[in-house]
Amino acid sequence: MDIRQLPATTFAFVAAIAAALGLVFAAYSTYDYAAQLDRRVHAVHCSFIPGLPASSDGDNPCKAALFSVYSAVLRATFWGGVPISLFAMGAFAFFLAFGLYLTLARVHVAAGAHAFFAAASLGPLGASIAMFFVTVVHLHGFCKLCVGIYVSSLVLSACAALAWRAKDRERRLVAPTDSASRRGGWVHAALWLAGLGVASALPAVAYAGSLPDYRPFLAKCGKLAVTSEAHNSLLKLPTAHPTRGVVLFEDPLCPTCRSFHERLVDEGVFERLNVTLVMFPLDSECNWMLDRALHPGACLMAKAVLCGGDDKARAILEWSYDRQDELKEAGKQGSQALLAKITERWGDAVSACAVGPAAATRLNQHLHFAANNHIAISTPQMFLGDQRICDEDTDLGMKYTLAQLAPEVLP
Amino acid sequence: MTRPNPLAKARAFLDAGPNRAAIVGAAVASALVLVVSVAVGAMVHGAKDRLEHPEETARAQVAVADDAEVAYCTPAFKEVLQRVINACGLVGTEQRRGCQPADVKTFASISGADFNELFAPLKERGAVVLFEEGSDVLDDAARKLLDARWEDRKGARYFFVVARASKDGTTEGNRALSHKRANSVMIHLKDATQDPELDKQVGLLWLGSEFAQFDKTYCEWPNSRTDKRCTPEAINRSAFVSWVDCRL
Repeated sequence: MDIRQLPATTFAFVAAIAAALGLVFAAYSTYDYAAQLDRRVHAVHCSFIPGLPASSDGDNPCKAALFSVYSAVLRATFWGGVPISLFAMGAFAFFLAFGLYLTLARVHVAAGAHAFFAAASLGPLGASIAMFFVTVVHLHGFCKLCVGIYVSSLVLSACAALAWRAKDRERRLVAPTDSASRRGGWVHAALWLAGLGVASALPAVAYAGSLPDYRPFLAKCGKLAVTSEAHNSLLKLPTAHPTRGVVLFEDPLCPTCRSFHERLVDEGVFERLNVTLVMFPLDSECNWMLDRALHPGACLMAKAVLCGGDDKARAILEWSYDRQDELKEAGKQGSQALLAKITERWGDAVSACAVGPAAATRLNQHLHFAANNHIAISTPQMFLGDQRICDEDTDLGMKYTLAQLAPEVLP
Repeated sequence: MTRPNPLAKARAFLDAGPNRAAIVGAAVASALVLVVSVAVGAMVHGAKDRLEHPEETARAQVAVADDAEVAYCTPAFKEVLQRVINACGLVGTEQRRGCQPADVKTFASISGADFNELFAPLKERGAVVLFEEGSDVLDDAARKLLDARWEDRKGARYFFVVARASKDGTTEGNRALSHKRANSVMIHLKDATQDPELDKQVGLLWLGSEFAQFDKTYCEWPNSRTDKRCTPEAINRSAFVSWVDCRL
């Protein structure tokens, strides 16, 4: 069978199926996003097969994508922003209906309908390509739901183009010189485009219009009881335009800390913070508050950050985030493997310091600072001044929260 | 009789008029977008309802950072230590530092043997710093051991120094000597650590020779003179030092 000889209705039907699949994937993504609006922790769906149970894996790529700055727009205006999957849902619903229309309407097909279908389907394809590159460059691992949407967009666009070509071939066979049937195509295209716009926007409008008022929840997560450390051992990270003091509790081998740091940097917020860094490694080797190491090697890595001093600490911390997977693996193998990585990148001075008593004492002072403040045993934690930013406001709600509590740190 | 194909019937209906397919397409699109929008609204309302009416069980109990608390922190042990930190100036009044034998006897309210037994779990955590007869001078080995124990703080908040004297000499003289030994430890820690919080962390007790003397079994505890013979007299010319991993 020559696929090029298939009728336009067949391609339109396959395009409609692709749109339906895209709608389902986008719906699951939206469902997961909307579930987080109650400010609790929820599992996230992450499968190529829609409907499989949500993954309880805390670090799955779908969760990373969901909490990234690229998953929503208008995040300073609405808590969590408006997820882009909503626009995808509306658009796929439109393309599903349009594909069905082209499948069923054999005789009276409006002029330019196939051309519009093919051209408009480039929209989701373009968005998918853009998000694909964002995933490659900025995120760590592919979100399967997102890949489902990318593939649906690709199939939709390819089939829409093939349907257009097939329809053109069919038209030339029936009336080789007929141009009258194309009259009025621009008017139709304008109407369809408006329809696509309305369809894409309506779910987002419904979402934004239903959101609760989050302002009363922002300042309900406690305060630092002790704001200074007696030994002056906390780190000051250099930033370009420090305008507001924050205290960050971080673990260099914690994936959530890495994502949090990337969000702050990507949002352009980090350079406007006057950062006091407290190392809080979730590793029982130095942290007595744990009965097992959640991130083996985190104590050694934290000591290496401390050994960087106020000048190099940020560079070492960001290196540990950039190379986190590799360093975590080394940490699991033992301190010597991790120390070799630190020595290779930062030299003998930092590694010698990291295994010395001074760094151990300083890290212990950081941990006691955490204990004196009775902070939750989790990372990352952010205190704006002495006001704790709730965990849920450090990911989905971060930009909204900063817009409310510290607008000066937003670019 | 064959039943007509529903798809063929639908197509025949759509082919019969110029705008029928377009109208059906628009209707399907409208219905789909409406359903999607209503579903989205319902998702958000569900979250809003959970947010405004949280279930008590929904909030997981989060562990909070605190000082260490290990198995040997029995109520009896903590009671004695609490009395020490209250009576010896670590909390509350800053007027006095350290406790004398008479104080310890009073607030400990237990026998010397029972007092020592309370510290038995600290055998590996702590160490016995030994002095020459009649001396309060820390030798190099004592300083080294003291530094090592101080650095090994972990999650402890309080560092206890329990100084003694052997039964050689007078009771008054031994009280004074054990006081000096406790102070020697304190002075060394101040010099070595430059820690501004030292006064809030170190609890000093000097027992002289009249309360809670070590017997020879305590020679098995880590001490600063592993190369010398340990006698019941020698082990009491000492200051026992240890971080205590209890929340007090």
